[in-house]
Amino acid sequence: MIVFVATLCVMRLMGKRQIGEMQPYELVITLIIADLACIPLADHSIPLLYGLVAILSVYFLHQIICLLDLRFPAAKAVVSGVPSIVLNKNGIDDAELKKNNLDVSDLIESLRVEGYFALDAVEYALYEAGGTFSALPKKNYMDLQKSLPIVLIDEGKFDDKNVELTERDRQYYLDILKQNGCTLPRTLVMTVDGNGKAYLQEKGEKYRTVDLAWQKQLW
Amino acid sequence: MIKTIASIFITLGIIFGLAFYENNRVNNTFREFETVLTSLYNKTESGEVTYEDGTATERFWENKKNTLHIWLPHTAILEIDYQLYEAVGYLYVRDYQSALPKIEILLGMCENIPQSYRFSIENVL
Repeated sequence: MIVFVATLCVMRLMGKRQIGEMQPYELVITLIIADLACIPLADHSIPLLYGLVAILSVYFLHQIICLLDLRFPAAKAVVSGVPSIVLNKNGIDDAELKKNNLDVSDLIESLRVEGYFALDAVEYALYEAGGTFSALPKKNYMDLQKSLPIVLIDEGKFDDKNVELTERDRQYYLDILKQNGCTLPRTLVMTVDGNGKAYLQEKGEKYRTVDLAWQKQLW
Repeated sequence: MIKTIASIFITLGIIFGLAFYENNRVNNTFREFETVLTSLYNKTESGEVTYEDGTATERFWENKKNTLHIWLPHTAILEIDYQLYEAVGYLYVRDYQSALPKIEILLGMCENIPQSYRFSIENVL
């Protein structure tokens, strides 16, 4: 009970962010506190005081980092990281994604969670330092996502299951790439929606949308 | 900002205060116990010791160890219990030669235990 009350007090003193969105160092501190609180509970030979002092020391470190965060923006960038803009007006920023150990499918998934299904429906998208995802949609974003886009090429590799869904074969899409001056290995992403609107982006290039002029809506 | 700075100093004060108090408390307790044990050792060596001297040392330790449980791992205290009960057992059968090494071990523990849990760089690292 003493450890519970002490941990609760320390978590309350650390503020609301400890419970909701956390910076990397706050996650580390929370994990350490969870472990420290368990030691005197699990091992009866260790005095409770050892756990309490350890929790207090971690709280002390937290406050020091908080102070650095508030006073020195450079320290904040080192300790907490900086937001990472992974999608901008030119399309997906592949280098930024790699820097965060993410790939295109992770970005598409994050966008879908936010309610944006088409890559061209979003002006900017970024991963915050705390790991949350934010996206700024285009004004007419609802017009740009009338049908669900599916990924056909992800970092130079075909998704054959999705290609099959479009009732076309690889060669059809290789021809489209060729017509647009792209090659398969250099293609970062290619998506297509049920109306035949394709989103195509080469690595390090600006994205383009291509109307594939399909005769019927497929899905 | 002021709240954060204040909390840093308060926490630091509590940690150092506790460390200082623990250091003093443990040191004083073991110093007193060492004095009692030294007297028991001298009496045992000269053959003047009685079983009552042993039980008096036991009682002294029993009183002190209750508060030590707050500061020291219980295993360290158990180790002293074990050595002390054995030494007193030898005193009961008047086997002073066997009791002496046990009391010596206890005297060594009185020196080593406070050092092991002292607030110092070598113990922190």
